Amino acid sequence: MEEEAEEIMSTNVIVTKDLSKTYGKGDLEVHALQKTTLTIHRGDYIAITGPSGSGKSTLMNLLGCLDTPTTGKLYIEDTDVSILNENQLAKIRREKIGFIFQKYNLIPTLDALENVALAMSFAGVNQQIRVERAKLLLELVDLTKRANHKPSQMSGGEQQRVAIARALSNRPSIILADEPTGNVDTKSGENIMSILEEVNNQGETIIVVTHNLAIAGRAKRVLRIQDGYVREEHV
Amino acid sequence: MSRSLLTLLGIAIGIMAIISLMALGEGMQTAITGELSSLSDSIIVTTGGDFFSSFSGGGTNSAGGYLTERDIADIARIQGIRDISTQLSGAALAEFNGETTIVSLTGMDTDVMMIQFGSTDLEAGSFLSDGDQNKIMIGYTIAHDTFDADITVGSRMLINGEKFFITGIFSRQGMGGITSSDSVILLNSRDFKTLTGQSNISSAYVRVYDVTEVESIATSIEDAINENHGKKDFATATSMSSILDTIQTIIGILQLVLVAIASIALIVASIGIMNTMLTSVMERTREIGIMKAIGATNRDIMSIFIIEGMLVSSVGGVIGLILGIFGSQALTLFLNNFMAMGGSSRLYPVITIASVILAVSVSLIVGVLSSLYPAWKAARMSPIEAVRYE
Repeated sequence: MEEEAEEIMSTNVIVTKDLSKTYGKGDLEVHALQKTTLTIHRGDYIAITGPSGSGKSTLMNLLGCLDTPTTGKLYIEDTDVSILNENQLAKIRREKIGFIFQKYNLIPTLDALENVALAMSFAGVNQQIRVERAKLLLELVDLTKRANHKPSQMSGGEQQRVAIARALSNRPSIILADEPTGNVDTKSGENIMSILEEVNNQGETIIVVTHNLAIAGRAKRVLRIQDGYVREEHV
Repeated sequence: MSRSLLTLLGIAIGIMAIISLMALGEGMQTAITGELSSLSDSIIVTTGGDFFSSFSGGGTNSAGGYLTERDIADIARIQGIRDISTQLSGAALAEFNGETTIVSLTGMDTDVMMIQFGSTDLEAGSFLSDGDQNKIMIGYTIAHDTFDADITVGSRMLINGEKFFITGIFSRQGMGGITSSDSVILLNSRDFKTLTGQSNISSAYVRVYDVTEVESIATSIEDAINENHGKKDFATATSMSSILDTIQTIIGILQLVLVAIASIALIVASIGIMNTMLTSVMERTREIGIMKAIGATNRDIMSIFIIEGMLVSSVGGVIGLILGIFGSQALTLFLNNFMAMGGSSRLYPVITIASVILAVSVSLIVGVLSSLYPAWKAARMSPIEAVRYE
């Protein structure tokens, strides 16, 4: 009985229970996210869609441990992260979560290789292993030739691929991508999505936040969010 | 980039100021200690308390009273005294090239002369020797300023109507040094007594066998003379080592004041670092947010900025150190010319290991302290706010 419970828990990467986030106080209260209960399994490929101001970013920030919920619980791989302090959250972020942002968010003063290695340096990985793994990841996103280029010397699509390599560097449990194709042309967007899907095929959990219905349609599960309420769409 | 360079310059100037002023202070210590430490077995006996006036200028003793032959004999009887020499002084009329003026004469034995003036450079001529008669040495001012015509070695001067020949002229000494020779007219004590008919002993110069006894002997001398004259503070016996201590204390305070003034530059520089770092934190809001999002802890962020601050200030510190070494050379060169210090009292900058270590560690500490607040501000930033907007 106990073994079975453990089995179930360990295939759940993210579990939320009545997760809510409220901004402001009194009359100015905004319920950005209301009582959301979700279970995300290992290897899921999930799209979160919804209009602007619907609470997409709030949900993404909570799932990414960038923000803490007002009420409710959030478990990431069985760890209750809603009670963790800032440093513990930082540890979860660097070990369990890989971020991909719409604006790539690479460090402008570092080259591609250093950007990929940076997250590993926060995790305390030693220099030599860091560089080797960063090279391997750049190869995976087909950017070996760009290893020593600064972000300003690369196209949007290339920068986003560096960001994917960076997101994968600490072998996270979840990849959180916020409009990953929002700033690149269609061809690069396709390239980026196919890399993410390839990563998903290898067992990685992918969550993509997007406006784009075509992108959302590629996911295995779609969560639609409106006025702070999350609804699962069955495709 | 240019902002960091300017910040760096601020630190460099602060450290330069500290290093060069410390080098100057050390140089002063060395110069004075060097001049006086060889005299540690010496005691100066004067009347009236003011040791400096009677010892340096050889002028008449304004406080009244001279040491008598009996005093000298009493001093000589005190145990532990190796030798005793006296300095006579009095006013006289000097005539050169038809001009007449009042001068003060200093008479002493030639061995005393060597002790007091031996380290002073000569502009021309030579020191008096033992058997010399009717020969004098004169200071720079007497030779060049007192009379319209310049006096040269071998010239003849009339003092109280007696003929004297100049054997040596001292170089210009200026304000430096304990024993100023600029306005001195020096002759041996035998000539002094013959000429003036007096033996006004303005000061006596006593040397002891055992340096450790110098203070107690000085007390005995004072007691003996005061008893002779029936006054409590007729005479003062000062050991050279106690003078040296006093001077070193004064220079120590002076050095502290100089360094304190230089520190103001450093404080201003550290505010500069803080300002630069704060601007940099604002500019890098987004970068900080990204780093936090990908897992940097508050400590990681803080250390990034603190290391940056340390880097700027320690590079500035090293540059300041180098500038300070050159700066202290320039400063002493300027002071030597400005104050016309000659001979042994010329200043040389002394850079000690301690001041190098101090400069480097102070710049590191300044770097850490002034980047603490900006670093703390950076660490406190919320990753969401930082990442979301441009």
